[in-house]
Amino acid sequence: MSAFILRRLLQTVVVLVLLSFVCYYVMSLMPGDPIDIMVSSNPKMTAEDVTRLKSLYGLDQPITVRYWHWLTAFSQGDFGYSRTYRIPVQDMIAPRLLNTLYLSALALTMALLIGIPLGVIAGLNPGSRFDYVANFFSYGGISMPSFWLGILLIIVFAVKLEWLPAGGTQTIGANLSGWQAFVDRLKYLILPAISLMTLQAGVYLRFARSSMIEAMGNDFIRTARAKGLSRYRVIWVHGFRNALIPLITVVSLSASTIFSGAIITETVFAYQGVGKLVFDSIVGNDFNMAMVSFMISIAMVLTMNLLADILYALADPRISYN
Amino acid sequence: MKHYALPLLLALALALALALAGCSEEPSATVAAAVDSNRPDNRELKVGLTQEFENLNAIIGQMMATIYLHKISGRTLVYMDTDANWQPQIVERIPSFDNGDAQIVMEQGRQKIRAQWRIKDDQFWGDGTPVTATDIEFSWRVGSHKNVTVGEKEVYTTVERVELDPADDKAFVFIYEKARWDFARMGSFFTLPEHLEGPVFERHADQPLGYEKNTLYVTAPTTAGLYNGPYRVSEIKLGSHLVFKRNEHWRGQPPAIEQLVFKIIPNTATLEANIRSGTIDMISVLGLKFDQAMKFEKTVLREQLPLQVNYKPSITYEHIDLQLNNPLLQDVRVRRALVHAINREELVNALFEGKQARAIHNIAPIDPWYSDDPTYVVDYPYSPRRANKLLDEAGWTLGPDNYRSRDGVRLSLQFMTTAGDKSRELVQTYLQDQWKAVGIEITIKNEPARVYFGETVRKGKYSALAMFAYISSPENSPKSTLHSKNIPRQDNQFSGQNTGGWVSEPVDRLLELLDGEFDETKRLALVQQILQHYTDQVPVIPLYYRSDISVTPNNLEGYQLPGHQFQASNNVEYWNLTE
Repeated sequence: MSAFILRRLLQTVVVLVLLSFVCYYVMSLMPGDPIDIMVSSNPKMTAEDVTRLKSLYGLDQPITVRYWHWLTAFSQGDFGYSRTYRIPVQDMIAPRLLNTLYLSALALTMALLIGIPLGVIAGLNPGSRFDYVANFFSYGGISMPSFWLGILLIIVFAVKLEWLPAGGTQTIGANLSGWQAFVDRLKYLILPAISLMTLQAGVYLRFARSSMIEAMGNDFIRTARAKGLSRYRVIWVHGFRNALIPLITVVSLSASTIFSGAIITETVFAYQGVGKLVFDSIVGNDFNMAMVSFMISIAMVLTMNLLADILYALADPRISYN
Repeated sequence: MKHYALPLLLALALALALALAGCSEEPSATVAAAVDSNRPDNRELKVGLTQEFENLNAIIGQMMATIYLHKISGRTLVYMDTDANWQPQIVERIPSFDNGDAQIVMEQGRQKIRAQWRIKDDQFWGDGTPVTATDIEFSWRVGSHKNVTVGEKEVYTTVERVELDPADDKAFVFIYEKARWDFARMGSFFTLPEHLEGPVFERHADQPLGYEKNTLYVTAPTTAGLYNGPYRVSEIKLGSHLVFKRNEHWRGQPPAIEQLVFKIIPNTATLEANIRSGTIDMISVLGLKFDQAMKFEKTVLREQLPLQVNYKPSITYEHIDLQLNNPLLQDVRVRRALVHAINREELVNALFEGKQARAIHNIAPIDPWYSDDPTYVVDYPYSPRRANKLLDEAGWTLGPDNYRSRDGVRLSLQFMTTAGDKSRELVQTYLQDQWKAVGIEITIKNEPARVYFGETVRKGKYSALAMFAYISSPENSPKSTLHSKNIPRQDNQFSGQNTGGWVSEPVDRLLELLDGEFDETKRLALVQQILQHYTDQVPVIPLYYRSDISVTPNNLEGYQLPGHQFQASNNVEYWNLTE
């Protein structure tokens, strides 16, 4: 297993480097660099200003040279300077990344805790009233646009009921610490987390249900029952364990996309996460900021896939990487 | 199943409540009461804005929000008041030839201007250090340094050298390298504290971007001494919020409000919910779009919310650039027919309820250079009859399909603007119908703002019509948009904004003369001549002058929307929230 992990880690590095070039190159194809955008909003900028600024930012260099400079600096831990915010990228992205991780982790946990148990119960009782209601909520969650749900939650819980703040990350200027700070952060997390988890919970419910129905229809379940095993053991040890394989795939894939999928939620709730930052840096051609975001995103997808492969082996003894 | 009945009923009830609450359009006494109970007072005012800001080192700042916020904590040499008159801000008076503080001098065979300035005695940085001429000289060095990325460097490089007076640390002289009439209008010359920023600059100036990476505005932005305005920054989180507290060393009008919080709410659709929930008390000029403001104003009136939606006609000029390389548009009769065919009066009344004014040319009514004198300005009233006549004269005959053609070529023009901009898309459809009525076919092709402004408009790549806005400032020479040397080309790095490619030798000459004309009456005459050519030749179709919009609490006094680049934040010390 350790050889497999090592091999996959090496592959991950190679894929990261290749994809980083692809992302860098594709970004360079976007019309207008940051200076061009500056020119279009400032009529007083002269041709000399444009030449000077492009030279200062290195935008007058060929794309391969610029990429090489970026890659060497990146590999040494220098993520560069954000042309949009005019501060080093790591100073901007680190706190934002942490905020997104809090939000994504809470949303993912809630989605797992709601979606999987409901899906399992629905799968064990297909065609029942519970199954119909669970399906209704699942389809509702999947089909409800997250920005619409977000606005709805703000109107109900912030405007009408005034229970929770309409947006933000924490109370500005409150200088809280310890438990109070934790509660304060949680207050700002609840609505965006609900908005973000609704879709995921719906997806997990659907997959858990169908996997469970399929697993419970297997011959070995009938055998286990015939052997007189307890209902708990039949469902959780034999049924659920077999239903886990497709669930691991879905959860690992969605866990990596929840990072980028938070853009809309973060924008609606003015939540200071990395999603909005990524979007703005791509739109504003802020190469350094966008590239770090891409690298994190790619690394997350690759890591979650590796994790999924490892979990397959743990869930199913028939899978071996040796 | 019994075990699941209660949670399921609860969930259904919640979903129903959510749906009903979301769909409700009825006046809500609860919300009005909620907003009223959140009525702000002078302890704190929370302001929402949609645009991002940078650190508050205004010399290197480029974003509009940065300049808006800078005026709360920083003051400049001069500023423009709400009546568009220039006023001294941190200096005693504005140098001019009339008051004897400025003279034209000859140096190495060239005409230059020598202007004497003096900083007011009551100007202090937030740490109590007086603002001196050394700060001005230092700011000029930073702004004109090759390794510092200043967008509009000309503000600094136009000053050839700065002379300090050893006998008076408040006095300084600017020697301008060119004799231009607007030498003293240095509203975007920003001042930095030399006692704090000087050592940083000396240490890092020799590396490209070295200074801006290490400026205290980035590394220690809450340092009180960085700010010379009525407020100082007490907390800053880029992309999130900015908190200002009163500057203890400010000697001007004492600000009434203790703390100002500026909060970024990137989604304009949620601004309304945020103000209704009390998360913010006010929406700055960098917030609502026009259509949203009109809709929100109706809600405010219907629900009697204690808010005020403010509109102020601004200098922003919404227009359609005509691509003059297009053979169909090279005939001035076609261009004039295009303007005659559209009813702009009805357009602004129908779409904007008259809250944005019809434009007749590129200079807005709040600009002292504005003129509607028919001796100079050619107006094109709505007249489909005249439009048809002009097109007939130009040889474009109406066919059985109700479109005009000449030599087998249909009079068909492509009309472009930013995709997803509701107001512009409405205007586009409205104009398309009116042009169709005189036999002109209009095909619409819209692009995302990034592509439209980054490539199509910037490089003049549209084939016929491009609708967008110019943000300028009063008494600003229209050189960048009208001079033929500012037609965007590879050799000028596409930096010009004469995107339609208008070449007018007389206008080029007048624009050159304008820079060097010191006599106000003669200068105005030059502007009028430029307007005469502009309105006669129709290189651009004027549409309307946009309005600046903000939403303020009813109890806010002393707030004024100026409609130009010196935003409402420039008089923040007069804002007062009454009981």
